[in-house]
Amino acid sequence: MIRLFTALLATLMLSGCMSLNSVSLTQIPSDKGQLVSAKAHDWVFLGFTTQNNFVNEAVNNLKQECPNGKLTGVLTKHQTTAYVLVFKREVIASGYCKKA
Amino acid sequence: MQKLILVSALLLLGACARLDHVQIGDIDQSNGALSPISVKVSENGVEMAVVAGVAAELASQSKRNQQLKEIRDFLALINMGPRTGNPVFFDTYAQNVLDALYQQCASGKITGIRNIREGKTYGPVSGEIVRIDADCIL
Repeated sequence: MIRLFTALLATLMLSGCMSLNSVSLTQIPSDKGQLVSAKAHDWVFLGFTTQNNFVNEAVNNLKQECPNGKLTGVLTKHQTTAYVLVFKREVIASGYCKKA
Repeated sequence: MQKLILVSALLLLGACARLDHVQIGDIDQSNGALSPISVKVSENGVEMAVVAGVAAELASQSKRNQQLKEIRDFLALINMGPRTGNPVFFDTYAQNVLDALYQQCASGKITGIRNIREGKTYGPVSGEIVRIDADCIL
């Protein structure tokens, strides 16, 4: 009984409940290039945080995936995964890179 | 007095950042060097129901306490519904962000526009922020 309870508790604690905060997509041209993606995240305890700098990190990571190129069809997802007392905030971006 | 100190501490310590929406636009790195530009506008938001709730907790007279709780419930009812952040008093505070963005980019060629809707919360009061980051093609 204790094992079952422990397993159930562990499952509940380790599995995150995800919520999708926002999604956006920009125009996709017909001559799109290669699909690239980047992401960035931060961890928040009890919802206390003073900054949202991980968004800039996601943008910089995406830029690095397409140096000297043009990124179009950018899909941006902002999502939050809730664990017990801890939240993972994440920005996932992908787009089509056309090299110059 | 203890309640007042507790509420003040909560208000001061509870300066939390909130992220509501992120949108990344097309990024053109093929037409020259990029220089980052940014515009941020903010408006004060107030959760009036929470303010009334705190006032009710602080009220010493039971009759006043009851009245404030009724006001709190009424305010909660009229502010019910889907929303992003706390209600603000002026809804035009983010109208001039495009002009402000262009003023920072002499070439007029802007790429990589990021729309970020965020907030800074100080208890029942918040700063409802609209931030536009972008890159100016030099």
